[in-house]
Amino acid sequence: MKVLQALSTSTGSKILVALTGLAMVGFLVGHLAGNLLALFGPDIYNEYSHALISNPLLVPVEIGLVAILVMHMGTAVRMVLRARQARPTRYAVKKWAGGASRKSVASTSMIVTGVLILLFLISHLWTFKYGAWYTDPTTGYRDLYTLLVEVFRSPFNVVFYVICMLLVGMHLRHGISSAFQSLGLMPRSWTARILRAGAALALILGIGFALIPIYVYFVL
Amino acid sequence: MTLDSKIPSGPLADKWDRHKFESKLVNPANRRRHTIIVVGTGLAGGSAAATLGELGYNVHSFCIQDSPRRAHSIAAQGGINAAKNYQNDGDSVWRLFYDTVKGGDYRSREANVYRLAQMSVNIIDQCVAQGVPFAREYGGQLDNRSFGGAQVSRTFYARGQTGQQLLLGAYQSLMRQVERKTVTMFANREMLDLVVVNGRARGIICRNLLTGAIERHVADAVCLATGGYGTAYYLSTNAVGSNVTAAWRAHKRGACFANPCFTQIHPTCIPVSGDDQSKLTLMSESLRNDGRVWVPKRTGDTRRPGEIPEDERDYYLERKYPSFGNLVPRDVASRNAKSVCDEGRGVGETGLSVYLDFRDAIDRLGRDVVAARYGNLFDMYRKITDEDPYATPMRMYPAIHYTMGGLWVDYNLMSNLPGLHVLGEANFSDHGANRLGASALMQGLADGYFVIPYTLAHYIASTPLEKVTTDHEAFAEAENNVRTRLDRLLAVKGHETPRELHRRLGKVLWDKVGMSRTDAGLREALAEIPKLREEFWQNVSIPGDATHLNKNLEYAGRVADYLEFAELLALDALHRSESCGGHFREESQTPEGEALRDDERFCYVAAWGFNGVGQAPTLHEEPLVFENVKLTQRSYK
Amino acid sequence: MRIHLRIWRQNGPTDQGRFENHTVESVSPDMSFLEMLDTLNETLIRQGQEPVAFDSDCREGICGTCGFLVDGQPHGPDPCTTVCQLHMRRFKDGDHLTLEPWRAKAFPVLRDLVVDRSAFDRIIQAGGYTSVNTGGAPDGNAVPIAKQTAEAAFDSAQCIGCGACVAACKNASAVLFTSAKVTHMALLPQGQVERHTRVLNMVARMDLEGFGPCSNEGECEAVCPKGISLANIATLNREWWKATLLK
Repeated sequence: MKVLQALSTSTGSKILVALTGLAMVGFLVGHLAGNLLALFGPDIYNEYSHALISNPLLVPVEIGLVAILVMHMGTAVRMVLRARQARPTRYAVKKWAGGASRKSVASTSMIVTGVLILLFLISHLWTFKYGAWYTDPTTGYRDLYTLLVEVFRSPFNVVFYVICMLLVGMHLRHGISSAFQSLGLMPRSWTARILRAGAALALILGIGFALIPIYVYFVL
Repeated sequence: MTLDSKIPSGPLADKWDRHKFESKLVNPANRRRHTIIVVGTGLAGGSAAATLGELGYNVHSFCIQDSPRRAHSIAAQGGINAAKNYQNDGDSVWRLFYDTVKGGDYRSREANVYRLAQMSVNIIDQCVAQGVPFAREYGGQLDNRSFGGAQVSRTFYARGQTGQQLLLGAYQSLMRQVERKTVTMFANREMLDLVVVNGRARGIICRNLLTGAIERHVADAVCLATGGYGTAYYLSTNAVGSNVTAAWRAHKRGACFANPCFTQIHPTCIPVSGDDQSKLTLMSESLRNDGRVWVPKRTGDTRRPGEIPEDERDYYLERKYPSFGNLVPRDVASRNAKSVCDEGRGVGETGLSVYLDFRDAIDRLGRDVVAARYGNLFDMYRKITDEDPYATPMRMYPAIHYTMGGLWVDYNLMSNLPGLHVLGEANFSDHGANRLGASALMQGLADGYFVIPYTLAHYIASTPLEKVTTDHEAFAEAENNVRTRLDRLLAVKGHETPRELHRRLGKVLWDKVGMSRTDAGLREALAEIPKLREEFWQNVSIPGDATHLNKNLEYAGRVADYLEFAELLALDALHRSESCGGHFREESQTPEGEALRDDERFCYVAAWGFNGVGQAPTLHEEPLVFENVKLTQRSYK
Repeated sequence: MRIHLRIWRQNGPTDQGRFENHTVESVSPDMSFLEMLDTLNETLIRQGQEPVAFDSDCREGICGTCGFLVDGQPHGPDPCTTVCQLHMRRFKDGDHLTLEPWRAKAFPVLRDLVVDRSAFDRIIQAGGYTSVNTGGAPDGNAVPIAKQTAEAAFDSAQCIGCGACVAACKNASAVLFTSAKVTHMALLPQGQVERHTRVLNMVARMDLEGFGPCSNEGECEAVCPKGISLANIATLNREWWKATLLK
């Protein structure tokens, strides 16, 4: 109860969003590393996906991820509503301050990119996790590689995925360093480095994920 | 009426201890039954309200600003003196006492000043405990600098924002008491009258500045800590909201006003640039520690400062006062600036400024050290003037900064009106005719933290205080008085703004009751002020009404009070035909042009009693007795 | 110079409010922004109209009384400058400027450009102090404090409480203000005793007053007249979870 109370304060909420956000960034790093195996051909990729699917820990981890996602979103939405209440009247003219401000298109559109990423996530799971089930005739594993190639034969899907990965990158561009700020892990002497590292990781994740559909469409 | 200063007997160093012991106390359980009104939340009022709250009194604290943190003490830059002798350079309570009495040109009370010097030590400890981030040395000890004509380093500081940090310390203590409900805060309230019941101050009438409501507040004692009256001059370093109203209304109810002519002109302010200017900005006196003051030797030299060779510059303070040089007291520095400008050697477009040059300091110490010491002041200067003090000398001119005069108080900080206590700049007691740098913060906090808790307790414990409520006829009379005056102001419906009338009053005072005063000039001022007052009451324009936030109405009320007060200021200056400290009468000077006191005739406090607007006030003299200090001609050569 | 102003006018807390256009003639470049408004007000008063209400006091950038938005920027376009220290030389002849009050639920508009910032006082009330009574303090030099620590504490302590941070934040958050005090006290040995209760109570009070959560965007730092750094907010966050865990 006390924990819930603490986490419902403005600072607690920020920390919760930061922790869940960073957890998902951790997931994304792993996910990207796995996905990039697609560049090395069907065998390695399917081997990897089979190892995941057949792991008995998969379901608990998935439940955990969903819980994290829900907490992240729920808290974020609550904060947005709270922020709306905090400024009932809008300014007729409002400019960005510039200078030391970290405000960016990314930071102002977190809730928008967040919602779009959620929609993407649903479609993504629909396409792959719950998509067509091909079986690799030699190993008997699920042949996700074939599905992957099939999906990204369509230029529409490629464009859609690339745009969505851009959104992910944008979300993380503000999100990663922001999480460090919220957790208070941003000492003055490290601020510039953390801001740069956060942006770099966001860029790597965004481009990394976008690379796969492009690779499939143009190279294969 | 004789004014009894109630100075305790006995040796100077023992007076306060003995007095504290002899004072009566209020039982801790009874304190909450006593309501104390504290008006003003600056260093004096804020610290007093917080401390009285800590002790358990039921304190009602009032300020005209939207928050107690905004009181003008916040703008004090340089520092606060204390006789800690941390620097081992020969300081002591006695030396601080001696310097202050001498600096005040022997027009203050020995006993008060000695107590102030004693308290100075405790103030620093208290502020450190509150978390005031004073400047430190690398070893972690408190740093000190020499300030304002002192030959020891006894000034504690927090960059150029010492007043801010000390005030926030007091404010935070006050807010802690508000949270504990021992203090009730009334912000956005302007005290417009004092309520006197059976000869004792028992309450105030104030206007809620947001709603216009006229409120009655009753108490067992009233403390005024409402600051000085420098804004009577229109242009001053005071905040635009600083005013004399509360003190003046108390004066009209019988409290004597002492030494109003003792005003301090600060030597280093950014010069006036135009008629629309609303205030002057002080540049801390600490700048004179490293900056050198000069003007061209030749009159009418219009070359840029960099083009004037060394031998054609007149470092007049260093030349005239070799032992103190640029660090002479404020009154001396100001007067000299005026006299070189009067000779036609002033610089800048108006010819009304002198250079304060950091070239040599930058050469000697390097730009970084200078920036570390004065960076924020240089930035402020650049913002206002658009000139870079690292590259070209600053231009400075004196401006009204502080007022040593104020409501008369005895050793207990109580005025001649029983129950009315006056603290900080609002009283007259500790600085004589001239205040030394870094002493105002010291006095405000000494009064609030360490003096009033004892003396007020004694008053309450030793006075039979009958039960009074706000239904008392004295409250009705005072409220009616306030309402009538507001109605009168609104009924004028003239065509001139209060600001313009204030500006004109300011010009009269600055020209004739300013840095240098003459019999003839003061008489002219005394003739002009009533005319201006007349014009005010016939032609002031105050649109809107009194039922909402009406800043112009508030301002007009304050200007109306300045117009009454200014006459007393000029009259006091006229009557004191000696020169002393900040009060310079051209008729009374040494052959070298220094202030010449007349101890035979004027070694007293001039406390004026009110007899009606435009009526001659009654002069009460409180003789000043010096048992420990020998009166000498001040010399800073 | 001639300056065209579009100023928010509102008769009282319950009034709807509207913009009003005014032109100020013969503005001198050496005037401060508020002196320019003084000039406008003098004209209005002479015409028998109610002047524009705006707050100001020290007019040297330290009391924190003044503040409104000049063309969408709290305290106007200059960095580290209160609007009383903003000078007209910053603007051009014929400029059109919009003046608006701070807007936040916790800062209701009282009249024209004047808002009620008493919520800040209540945040300090919740714990922005050391609980030491007057008297009995140990010698000022009893506890040495490293120069760097004292300087860092000062950097945080110089907040003037003007409210520009709240005005600039898209969430109307007061966390820069709150964190400046929390950091100031957390850095100093004197602040250690109440370190945990202070941050918890101040954050709780800040929420109670209706300020929004931090946006981590740093618009607050960019508009702060004293340049109070976002690092203070990181410190507050760290202090807060430490206090929560150790409670």
